[in-house]
Amino acid sequence: MRKFGLTQFAMLAPALGLLVFIILLPSLYVFWLSFTESTYGKAPVFVGLENYIAIWNDRYFWRAMVNTLIVVNVIVYGELILAFVIASVLVKGVPFRRLILAVVLMPYAISEVVAVVIWKFLLDPDIGALAKAMAGAGLPDINWATNPTHGLGLVSLISIWLNLPFTLIIIYAAMLAVPSDLYESAKIDGASPWQGFRYVTLPSVLPAVFVALIFRYIISFRLFSEVWLLTAGGPARTTEVMAIYLYKQSFTYASFGKGSATGWVMVMVSGLIAAGYLHLLYRRGFRQNA
Amino acid sequence: MPESWLSIALRALVIGLLLIWSVVPVSLIVLSSFKPTPDIFTYPPSLLFEPTLEHYRTLWEKWPDFFLTLRNSAIIALCAMTLTVFSSALAGYVYSRYRGSALAGSAVFMVAIRLLPPIVITLPLYPVVDFLKLSDSYTLLILLYATFFVSLGTMILKTFIDGIPEELDQAAIIDGATELQILWRIIIPLSAQGAVAASIFVFVYAWNEYLFAFIFTTTRAKTAPVVISEMMASLNGVDWGLLFAAATTQLLPVVTFVVLVQKYLIAGLTAGSVKG
Repeated sequence: MRKFGLTQFAMLAPALGLLVFIILLPSLYVFWLSFTESTYGKAPVFVGLENYIAIWNDRYFWRAMVNTLIVVNVIVYGELILAFVIASVLVKGVPFRRLILAVVLMPYAISEVVAVVIWKFLLDPDIGALAKAMAGAGLPDINWATNPTHGLGLVSLISIWLNLPFTLIIIYAAMLAVPSDLYESAKIDGASPWQGFRYVTLPSVLPAVFVALIFRYIISFRLFSEVWLLTAGGPARTTEVMAIYLYKQSFTYASFGKGSATGWVMVMVSGLIAAGYLHLLYRRGFRQNA
Repeated sequence: MPESWLSIALRALVIGLLLIWSVVPVSLIVLSSFKPTPDIFTYPPSLLFEPTLEHYRTLWEKWPDFFLTLRNSAIIALCAMTLTVFSSALAGYVYSRYRGSALAGSAVFMVAIRLLPPIVITLPLYPVVDFLKLSDSYTLLILLYATFFVSLGTMILKTFIDGIPEELDQAAIIDGATELQILWRIIIPLSAQGAVAASIFVFVYAWNEYLFAFIFTTTRAKTAPVVISEMMASLNGVDWGLLFAAATTQLLPVVTFVVLVQKYLIAGLTAGSVKG
């Protein structure tokens, strides 16, 4: 066993330094700001819980919260179901496997901004190829600018499109790792394909599913760009999500206290989601594989 | 048991839909950027057309800044990548080779702090950034991007370094090698795959990032995604051909990169999250 000393501390310093100075200290400062009232050019004044009470009583806050929770669940479970279906096909072996994987990863490399350009064009009621195909099939137009359900639906679609590669790779890698003799013995015992999936695949990949799920929950909870670029929260603030609400409180209405309080609500919700993940990580993570 | 015809057809259908879903939206944009304007709007989308560079010419003439912001994006992404891999390799090495409860605590901190939504720190950073004269600078974006990926980078590199037998270090220590020599001569060469995997994540993120660039840049350090969003929001109607030319220029380098290095990307994804 080697001894941890000054050299090792210095080696950790760049990574930890970045995290402390750029994330930890600012977030503590936000915590303090959330108990004060301040705006541009005005020093913070302590107001206790007033900001939290104010956002608690703000119906736009609740609208944003509900929107976020709905969209996040649609995104996360949508991805999960798609990833399961696709991974179980891929894992059986397909021709040109590497080529298919490379192609499937493509959306991962696309910027949210470009993704919004792409889907806006595809679904534009006047010029979009997909919109015209849908109209041809008798489906209604997607009016993301006027209909909040369509707006948030399109946001979810874009987000799934961008992030499916991530979820898919994790689930696929986990499925590949299931020993094939498990399937063999299940088959010998007379298990149907569904039973094989239910009693062999699912339990084996569950830890990976859990990790992918928590990851995606936390990341999609931050959702900002897709909404901002597509609807900017409109019409009439009906498609705001938490990050948009925070941005508007802070930068549009210049109410730094309420913006900060929203920030801490986001931190706490993320923390709740993450608690399970951290527990898992700590149990089988850095301490025990010594 | 021979596979039934139906199950093969179903699987082919899933793969077919998957390929359409992944490729068609992107290719349509890329193709359309070479179409004369009237051809962009034909339905069904035309595959046969007279290819033209007119939209790229317009882009060059009307938005010369776009190419400057593309250069900004490249500089920022490369620097953020270097900083992240450097910090992550050092930290990953220490986490792989040393034990202790303080160390375990700092590892948990590293993972936990990454759960914080990036938008939360924009508000408190604003005045600090102003005070330090870092607003609208490369440095700020480089630091921000590196910070948000240093945790993942460290986890990926730790996983790869864990795979290098510690006997190699021990032998080097007996030969009187210092920590930095071990790192430079043994660890870095043998964990190069991990470094590549970590680099891809940071590069793709920094090249494409919108939120921080939108909030913290105005002119000098503006990145390409921000300009594309401005083109999209243009008040006098969207010039789709121009928008597609800009989007294609922005996405082709990074998509090509990801497709070429997919092996490492997949290795990094599984190392960073599943084993993490």
